[in-house]
Amino acid sequence: MSAAELGAMLPALALAGSAVLATVLAIPRRTGPRILAWLGALVAATVAGLALANGTGGGSPSIARDGASVFFIALIAMVTAVSCVLAAADPRRIARSKDETGLALFAACGAVIVVSAADLVVLFVGLALLAIPAYVLTGRAALAGDERVVRHFLLGATSSAVALYGIALLYAATGETGYLGLGRATHNPLYLAGLGLTLAGLLSHIASAPGHRWSIVTNIAVAGALLRLVAATATGEVGLDWQVALASVAAAALALSGVASIAERRVRRLAGYATIAQLGFVATAAASAALPAAAFALVTYSAVALGLFAGLAILPQREPVLDDLAGLARRRPLAVLALTLLVLGLVGVPPTAGFLAKVYVLEAAVRAQLLWLVVLGTLASVASTAAYARLVLACFAAPRLDAVAPSRMRVGTAVALVIAIAVVAAGLAPGALLDAAQTVRF
Amino acid sequence: MVVDVVLIPLLVGAACALPIGSLARPLAVLSGLLTAGSVAAAVWLGVGAEPLGLYYWAAPLGAQLAVGWDGWSAALLMLGGVLFAAGAAASGGVARPRAYFALWSLLQMAVAGVFVSRDLLLFFAAYEALLVPLALLLWGWGGADRRAATARLAVMWLTGSALLLTGILALWVGAHTFSFAALGSYRLAETSQVLLALLFLAGFAMRLPLFPFHAWLARAYVSAPAPVAVVLAGVISKTAVYAVARICLPFFPRGMADLSPYLLALAAVGALYGAILATRQCDTRAVITYASLAELNLIAVGVFLATPGGLVGALVASVSHGLVVAILVLLTAALARRTGSFGFGSGGLGARAPVLMGSFVLAILGLIGVPGTSGAPGQLSILAAAFAVSPGIGLLASLVPVVIAVCGVGVLRAVFFGPPAPRGWDLGWRERGLVIVLIALVVLVGVVPRSVGDLADRTGPALTELRR
Repeated sequence: MSAAELGAMLPALALAGSAVLATVLAIPRRTGPRILAWLGALVAATVAGLALANGTGGGSPSIARDGASVFFIALIAMVTAVSCVLAAADPRRIARSKDETGLALFAACGAVIVVSAADLVVLFVGLALLAIPAYVLTGRAALAGDERVVRHFLLGATSSAVALYGIALLYAATGETGYLGLGRATHNPLYLAGLGLTLAGLLSHIASAPGHRWSIVTNIAVAGALLRLVAATATGEVGLDWQVALASVAAAALALSGVASIAERRVRRLAGYATIAQLGFVATAAASAALPAAAFALVTYSAVALGLFAGLAILPQREPVLDDLAGLARRRPLAVLALTLLVLGLVGVPPTAGFLAKVYVLEAAVRAQLLWLVVLGTLASVASTAAYARLVLACFAAPRLDAVAPSRMRVGTAVALVIAIAVVAAGLAPGALLDAAQTVRF
Repeated sequence: MVVDVVLIPLLVGAACALPIGSLARPLAVLSGLLTAGSVAAAVWLGVGAEPLGLYYWAAPLGAQLAVGWDGWSAALLMLGGVLFAAGAAASGGVARPRAYFALWSLLQMAVAGVFVSRDLLLFFAAYEALLVPLALLLWGWGGADRRAATARLAVMWLTGSALLLTGILALWVGAHTFSFAALGSYRLAETSQVLLALLFLAGFAMRLPLFPFHAWLARAYVSAPAPVAVVLAGVISKTAVYAVARICLPFFPRGMADLSPYLLALAAVGALYGAILATRQCDTRAVITYASLAELNLIAVGVFLATPGGLVGALVASVSHGLVVAILVLLTAALARRTGSFGFGSGGLGARAPVLMGSFVLAILGLIGVPGTSGAPGQLSILAAAFAVSPGIGLLASLVPVVIAVCGVGVLRAVFFGPPAPRGWDLGWRERGLVIVLIALVVLVGVVPRSVGDLADRTGPALTELRR
């Protein structure tokens, strides 16, 4: 392994090493889960800082180290760091989550590999490393401990299998696994089928992820891998026209999430639909070949989703419904303020960063002559606005008599509030974030 | 000189985060008066009209925080300042005052932002953002039907602004600028103008509301708390009038000309429809609602005509309608405190409450448009302009004041005349002061309509040369 390859692998290696360490450290009876989670946050934050400080350049045929990979690695590491902080402060699972930090770091390592993979085999290794811990984390945390966890896990395994089948077909068609070779044989039906299956396998990882803070990393990773795959095949010797495929994916995501969220009363599912709608916007940007817009939307989405899950963590219920939010405005005014701002960011109301993300994405789509998608997207966001507004308005309802008191999770509220303020600030002064988004290049 | 109309409410809103308790209301009144005063001073001195680009906001799209004023926005800003002050003064004793006044100030800021924006994206941001405090005020402080009312209003407005955003972005892709000044000289092909004008109008017609997009109107006006109804009917509806006059007309002159027969027909029919519905109501708030629908559609007739007379008339009528509807909403709230309901009661209140009756009569006269009140000059100007363009539209529109007169006089008769009511008391000093100031403004605009009409002329040349 050359020095350049080692440099490109460094974030993944650091994360994998600390994941192993965290798993080993979890064995002694005396180590508490809290300290492990704080350590995990520290490691992830360091990785984010290192990735940004090291910059681009180098890399190898199988691991890219360009603007896009640095950007996505930093984003994944930051989200992991904040999620670890939240895990450390979360009163609900603290007793039995000693292995959580190790799993989270493994998932982050997998995500880092996925977004920087420039080779199909590496992509699959990363996907497997990401998916298994992520499914354990989200399945255990977000679903009740019954057969739904198993079903969820099987769904994830199927997604990976589909992706693997697609990769095999691509190899059969091109005789290569590197992304460089992917641009060469475009009119082969085997090639197209392989690409379609790979895409489907990647995307169904998003669709099957329930709304939970640990699923954000999966979504970023899949979006990053998708953008890279699109870029690799669109700029080859015979470029593929991705517009129709991506626009259909975006339209389906926007329309389905808009319709499905209207009647949903479970808070976590609601946030899950928000995820899908946001990734629909990212897909819209990808269909319009607007990488900076996609990156901007992805950052905004990650921040808003993270903030929402941080704020909602004060609910003690395992599967909270909207009625459980009643009375929160009186009991936890700061958390409700944060939730309000975050929901405004989610639905893209000015002056939040969500509004700018929407404007950038839709502007690119209009420029790419996807006016139908723009109209569909804006109208779907009306439906989802109505759905997510209930999240805020439910907090102002009078509490039920038998309501369980929300937990006093100061860290969660503080994180949610900081993220909410950052989302508003980025909407007023988006300069730094825009500059960062401009660095996303393949 | 213009930024302060946004900054003052922002400061007041931020101050509501501090434990200031009963100070919030005087501060909100003051912020309304200060903004009205500062705009008046700016007009008097003639400063700040030039668009002032503060800073590039959404840089890759070149969206600027650019503010400035023209005649239309100055008139409506002053109206807004007065109405927000009046509404704040009338919201004594609200529940959770700090939250209420914080939202109130944010609403004032967003409305002012609509009028001072000199950049299309900034305009849209303010236009869209004002829905948030408005919906929360309706939801949190409204009457019995508030949830359904808020939901319907929000969904309809959001649908409108979704299409508006599409239109704005489509315009940017063609013009590569958001600046009002640059867009004014940018000319699209005629078919594109029609398409874009339709997208923009979708956003504005929902909010105006142009007939037949008024499904949210009745519920929202009736279930809103009185101060919110004052600003909703008085000034927030004018953001749409302003937007049609200031954005659709100068940016898509040919498209608007092609669409104008249909738009005029809708607006004229809507005006008459609203007036006729108003005669059939037995709730004072509903009467005001439908009379407002009639007046607003009449104003829309003036704007869609796009002749100098029609535009001046629309501006004067906008200011007049804002003042008159504010008085009427405040008086019906006062009336409801006396009779215990928003129904017409058993009549005969005039003997017990002469001042209440007198102000009500004056306000109804203003609504009808009797000369000497502010309603007259605007309405006459619109009707004259309508007859000049199309006698049919003119005829339809000229029936509106007649029907409103029938309905207004009917309300007066039912509420105030007849055998003296057994109980009831006159307006208190606080209510009296508020209403008298507003009535003085109504008479002032009625006697000296040039005070507002001249402001429209400042925007005039740009708008009258449109059809070339």
